[in-house]
Amino acid sequence: MRGLSKPLKYRLLFLFVGNGLLLLLISVFLREGASFTQVLSQAGPDCAPIILAGLGMTGIILTGGIDLSIGSVIAVAGTVFGCLVYWEVPPLLCYLACGLTAWGLSTLNGALVRKLRLPAIIVTLAGLAFYRGVALMIADVAVPDFGGNLSVQDDAYHGPGKFHANSILLATLVMALVWEAFAETPRRWLALGNSPEACRLQGLAPGRILQSAFTVGGILLAVGALIEVTQVQTIEPARMTRGFELRVVGAVVLGGTNIFGGEGSFAGTVLGAFFLYFAQQLLIYAQVSPYLQEVLIGGAILLVIGADCTLNRRAKMLAELR
Amino acid sequence: MARILLKRHLILVALLVGEVLLFNTISRVPLVSVSDFVAIVTQSAPVLFLAFGMTLVLMTAGIDLSVGSMVALIACAMASFGGEDADSTFWITAVPCGLLFAIVLGSLNGLLIARFDMPPIIATLGTMIFFRGWSFVLLGDRERAPFGDVPGYDLLGEFFFVAIGLVCVYVVGGIFFARSRWRQEILLIGGNRIAGRYAGIRVGRRLWEVYTLVGGLAFLAALAFTSRNSSVNASALTGLELKVIVAVVLGGTRVQGGSGSLVGSFLGVLIIAVLEEGLRGSALWGHEYLPFKIRHLEEVLLGLLLVTGVWLHSREREAMP
Repeated sequence: MRGLSKPLKYRLLFLFVGNGLLLLLISVFLREGASFTQVLSQAGPDCAPIILAGLGMTGIILTGGIDLSIGSVIAVAGTVFGCLVYWEVPPLLCYLACGLTAWGLSTLNGALVRKLRLPAIIVTLAGLAFYRGVALMIADVAVPDFGGNLSVQDDAYHGPGKFHANSILLATLVMALVWEAFAETPRRWLALGNSPEACRLQGLAPGRILQSAFTVGGILLAVGALIEVTQVQTIEPARMTRGFELRVVGAVVLGGTNIFGGEGSFAGTVLGAFFLYFAQQLLIYAQVSPYLQEVLIGGAILLVIGADCTLNRRAKMLAELR
Repeated sequence: MARILLKRHLILVALLVGEVLLFNTISRVPLVSVSDFVAIVTQSAPVLFLAFGMTLVLMTAGIDLSVGSMVALIACAMASFGGEDADSTFWITAVPCGLLFAIVLGSLNGLLIARFDMPPIIATLGTMIFFRGWSFVLLGDRERAPFGDVPGYDLLGEFFFVAIGLVCVYVVGGIFFARSRWRQEILLIGGNRIAGRYAGIRVGRRLWEVYTLVGGLAFLAALAFTSRNSSVNASALTGLELKVIVAVVLGGTRVQGGSGSLVGSFLGVLIIAVLEEGLRGSALWGHEYLPFKIRHLEEVLLGLLLVTGVWLHSREREAMP
């Protein structure tokens, strides 16, 4: 916690207390037939894809980049998975192919950003469209008479998502947080996000650091994709995980990570994702109209970040003018 | 600079012509006649209006992800304001209220970005979710169609009126804009905000004006959309913002701000519209020769187009002395 700036510490504290309050409120609104432990145990599988993809995204945003294509990348991974299931390939191979696809595409994004020397937002915006089309084309080619969705009914193919999501999430989280605390690479990401020029003058290779963020992000995204893909009975390449990237960015930014890079933490992203999830659950348990929920969630993001930006505005402007 | 701009526009025009020629050989629907062009322009009118605003927003180094939700919300608000039995009073009640509402929504974005100092991508991400949710609150799952009952409303979707709107925005607005001090200030804010502040530019004010203008343009887009479709639901136009951003960036506007071209954005929208229309017409050809459905190529080509377009522009910029 020592390296964190003051606003970031306050944000973490706010989210921590906020999550506690939300859980308290949920327990107040709980009705017959729903137990509190159930709410808690369901939170893991429900949040796992967002959290894991969010950790990867945090790394990329720390370097000053962004990956808008992750929703489509998961769609490609899911389509590969669905097609292999259709051809009755053993489950383990399907999982492996799904994870490798997600990791490979994320790494490819990094390589493209580096080689083409274009802003990450452009390359991955193109990826958002491109990979979605690729997913549909793969399904068209691999499955005869593809009608829009791939069915995965057999529970043998639902291992990671339905039965082991909690343990996978926990193991990955612990590893990621420990790694973030002690490894050198995340510090380099922060350095790159703060000043690419200073990085270069220091003798660090900005391109390689950027690539490492996308590669590590790819590993986390692969685990997240695996859980997301194996949770559902039908995989729709055209529709699955649309808008996923924005939900992830929402969680990352709510967690206190600076969208322009150079500041942030993995722990914030985890807390941010849980905050959004519990807020939504609270609205469900409090029987707020489902139509109002989106307004309130959007409003909450604006309120938390808006308040934070306003409070730090003066300091930021003074720093800019210095 | 002018020569580079000209060259860039020539590349875009060449791309457009190439596309038209390609689709003319493989598509069943020809694309060369005047009436086809008219149809494509009319159809993409909402995107064209929004592209104007998005170009200005990107020039300031901002981004507006909320435009799709904003147009949908304005349309939903007008639909629910018009009530079940809309008549000619719709013109003096719902339409002005829609405009006012649009400006309020736009200035809300502006307020968050200029006054609360939120990063544009976050602020408009939040308002995107917020506006979409609000449309659902207004309409729920229902489909509302009061627009067909309003006398004369469907005329707005005709090419004549769309063309008047586009000429007003792009030609008249563009000429004023190109010669104005406002443009220079916006470009300076995008290029270097701190330098802008030192130069005495009212940065917050200008940003607020740009986002409010986007609100006004979203109103025009909503008019163009509802007059053609005559009905609206709360999930209408999802993903429109991406199409607009892709078109504008393809047209040569820099995402990092500080440079941009309205003509380029116009051409960018047309390139995407022709691509969509051409692929739709080539379904039979694709069925015969390709192992996948040809409409699935649309997004792949869109992505490729975006990266190659921006890559070419960036290489020119590097070559610039």
